[in-house]
Amino acid sequence: MIAFTDIVGMDLAKQALMLLAVDSELGGVVIPSAVGSGKSTLARAFADILPKGTPFVELPLNVTEDRLIGGIDLEATLATGVRVVQHGVLSKAHGGVLYVDSISLLDSSAVSHIMDAISRGEVLVEREGLSEVHPAKFMLVGTYDPTDGEVRMGLLDRIGIIVPFTAQNDYRARKKIVKMVMGTRDAEDTRDELNMLAGFINAAKEQLPHVSITDDQIRALIQTAISLGVEGNRVDIFTVRAAIASAALAQRSDVDEEDMKQAIKLVLIPRATRMPEKEAESNEAPPQEEMPPEEPEAEDEEAPSDTPDAEAEEEQKETPDMIEELMMEAIEMELPDNILNISLASKKKATTGSRGEALNNKRGRFVRSQPGEMRSGKVALIPTLISAAPWQETRRRDSKMAGRPKTALLITKDDVKIKRFRDKSGTLFIFMVDASGSMALNRMRQAKGAVASLLQNAYVHRDQVALISFRGKQAQVLLPPSQSVDRAKRELDVLPTGGGTPLASALYLGWETAKQARTKGITQVMFVLITDGRGNIGLQATFDPTAEKATKEELEKEVEALSLSIQADGVAAIVIDTQMNYLSRGEAPKLAQKLGGRYFYLPNAKAEQIVEAAMSF
Amino acid sequence: MTQTEPVAKKSAAKKTVAAKAKAESEVKSVKPSSKKKSGWAFPFTAIVGQEEMKLSLILNSIDPKIGGVLVMGHRGTGKSTIVRALAEVLPFIDRVEGDTYNRTLEQYIEGEEGKKGRKSIDPTSLSIEKIPIPVVDLPLGATEDRVCGTIDIEQALTSGVKAFEPGLLAQANRGFLYIDEVNLLDDHLVDVLLDVAASGQNVVEREGISIRHPARFVLVGSGNPEEGELRPQLLDRFGLHARIITILEVEKRVDIVKRRREFDEAPESFMKKYSHDQQKLQKKIQTAKELLPKVTMTDEVLTDIAKLCMNLGIDGHRGELTIARTAFAHAAFLGETVVTMKHVKEVASLCLRHRLRKDPLETLDAGEKIDRELAKLLGEAEAV
Repeated sequence: MIAFTDIVGMDLAKQALMLLAVDSELGGVVIPSAVGSGKSTLARAFADILPKGTPFVELPLNVTEDRLIGGIDLEATLATGVRVVQHGVLSKAHGGVLYVDSISLLDSSAVSHIMDAISRGEVLVEREGLSEVHPAKFMLVGTYDPTDGEVRMGLLDRIGIIVPFTAQNDYRARKKIVKMVMGTRDAEDTRDELNMLAGFINAAKEQLPHVSITDDQIRALIQTAISLGVEGNRVDIFTVRAAIASAALAQRSDVDEEDMKQAIKLVLIPRATRMPEKEAESNEAPPQEEMPPEEPEAEDEEAPSDTPDAEAEEEQKETPDMIEELMMEAIEMELPDNILNISLASKKKATTGSRGEALNNKRGRFVRSQPGEMRSGKVALIPTLISAAPWQETRRRDSKMAGRPKTALLITKDDVKIKRFRDKSGTLFIFMVDASGSMALNRMRQAKGAVASLLQNAYVHRDQVALISFRGKQAQVLLPPSQSVDRAKRELDVLPTGGGTPLASALYLGWETAKQARTKGITQVMFVLITDGRGNIGLQATFDPTAEKATKEELEKEVEALSLSIQADGVAAIVIDTQMNYLSRGEAPKLAQKLGGRYFYLPNAKAEQIVEAAMSF
Repeated sequence: MTQTEPVAKKSAAKKTVAAKAKAESEVKSVKPSSKKKSGWAFPFTAIVGQEEMKLSLILNSIDPKIGGVLVMGHRGTGKSTIVRALAEVLPFIDRVEGDTYNRTLEQYIEGEEGKKGRKSIDPTSLSIEKIPIPVVDLPLGATEDRVCGTIDIEQALTSGVKAFEPGLLAQANRGFLYIDEVNLLDDHLVDVLLDVAASGQNVVEREGISIRHPARFVLVGSGNPEEGELRPQLLDRFGLHARIITILEVEKRVDIVKRRREFDEAPESFMKKYSHDQQKLQKKIQTAKELLPKVTMTDEVLTDIAKLCMNLGIDGHRGELTIARTAFAHAAFLGETVVTMKHVKEVASLCLRHRLRKDPLETLDAGEKIDRELAKLLGEAEAV
């Protein structure tokens, strides 16, 4: 076991965890990081810096609903005839840490339960005739590899700190890591260091209630949140808390610039939806309508703030304007180039398993019961009782069962029936729209309409829609798999068009998207290609801009090979040609054939027609 | 009118009963220890902004027939906080003491006498208690049997009796049923809720049990549209659709942070500070409820409402009905007895936003569209 202090690198993550240790109300820490960077080692070592005896519960990814929130302990219940309640993982983490490795792979119902527990501070068990409340106030520590996909925004929203994605360690750190793992550290040193750190954190906890923050500082943090386009108001509270915790760690009684920068770095920047507008020369505040510049107006508002620290306010010499400038500086320095893409799935190959079984033992809708092992699924109580009923008389006489209370039901293994569920997982429609050439605008509009129209009905079928556009050198995911009309509208607002036709790149990207969707329980994927089928940019050119232009044969081969693999992978496809093609050489029908799909020729198609074509298949 | 003699003890019992009933309305907990000390809900009147949602909830509590509220909007904007704070400012209702279905005396007698093998009930044998309007919180993972009620397993196993154990729908009768993340709720549960909301009755036919009980409640759903759309059928069932957005005014946000910090540090004294406002609001709602039957509306206003819905191309008549009802409640809330276009104007987008036909390529916000039509109409009305 590697101790917290022994871990090399990941400084930001360490700082984040220390802030959390000081103020548990920060809710948690999420650490996105590449494979093998030691994120899970660090997360597990977090227990080192918490008071002894603090619960540290690790949540397995395949956790079932009843294990997560708690439920009836069936064996005990059947044996005693009295309902025996089993606490779930969430309530076991009460007062401590809930650790989830690969949190982005957690299935959505589990995520929902965790979100629910965080917002209530308890779990409500409302199932199987049981109605209980278990306290479940915990710090959530999650780690994940961004290449596995994103963590649900709703969950991130309830977690105070998100560590900005860190690149690989440099060679010195790597060397140190190897040494560490090989165990050349002195155990004594480690213990001393840990003790010291624990002492630090304890002192910071005591300092925490004595740290004050001025209104101007709060205002500056909020301004920053607004200019970064951070959604919601909950984040303000986290930002302020993080700044205060940072001051407490430094044993200060006032929040200073460093604390605020730290808070911005760990709370706001990872949630940024836009870059702050860079004020080239004049460092004026970002243009925001109806934002009254820091006037004393706040004073006479009916705000219940009768306890402002008069001295603290006095001490604050910088004007809010200056603070803001400072913040901007901090942001620009800390903002990695790819900050806005962090949570987007990367194009790295993700492994998939085919677990798209519609009938399963755990999730979905209960359809019927069948004999089975008690541990292999949820027990269907009533059918179990029914199958046990006729045997009661004989079993009572049976010597093996003697000594049981008279009123107890005698149930044997053979009686047990478990529930079978049917998962209603929808289809993912991946629209791939040829945005090259002159008619692109038209095609885009049609695709956009079709996407919106599909989504309107998506809820019923639990379908999702993604949109990939291809133009220029490579294809691009404009809309990741989503069920939301609002999101689609927003993301598809600006659609660049024109340029070459990287058809192969689109197919490749679509395939990757399909694979990722599969890991999240979507079983059926359908490609909807809106194109004339004439690709002219090869995969080579996509990855290497200096590559020579591919010949026509090469292009065709590429597309063919990809299409066949995609077909073999069980992805359905249709190709829609919406152009008046006087000069068609039949590329689009050929593409459809290679993909094992159907070809539609719909000149000037309406969005509904496209949807119809997609649904008919 | 449900007052019978045992009411005498009501005022004395009011405090304790209210506290008890509150715990019940949240969820019956087996262990008293699980009642947390952080049980303070942030006071309704201390919540900054989000007036649309607050007004919707208040109007629904004045007239439950409005048909519920759907609140869609950004994360972290206080949706759940507002709903959970609501219970504290709602007025009290009468029910037969200890009745799981929160029925009034008449409803109780009607329901129980209908059962076979039961003799007529003597009304004087029942006592009445006052409880706050229940606000029941439906957790996402709730199973169908907990929502609708199911066979009491304990009794079935130990004594072989088929007894019914009421679910959350029973608890929510005559109150509010809140579903957070309603857009992520299981399909089959949504179906059940729709059924019950439409009929006002919960019918349980399963596992050898056959029972029906009243389940009239105000459905409050909330969610983030970016995480999934709501089924159109469900959308239409909600009377009002409030939008909730990130507050962008810095001063308001500073205020939010400060109040929250104050609350976290010393909840008790914070509650005290707002208790006056809380009581005032509670009284205002109670008064509005009493005033509601006296509120009237002229035919002109009704014509204008109908015109508005027609001009907006809204299918069906639920739009007009909801506007009318909501405007009545709004007038009552303001202590006025005649509905004018002023009231209509304030509630029109709430009532119609989700009923406009959706055009995927439409960029104009539904609210703006309604406002525009309304302005046109008002201009017209003035000219005449």
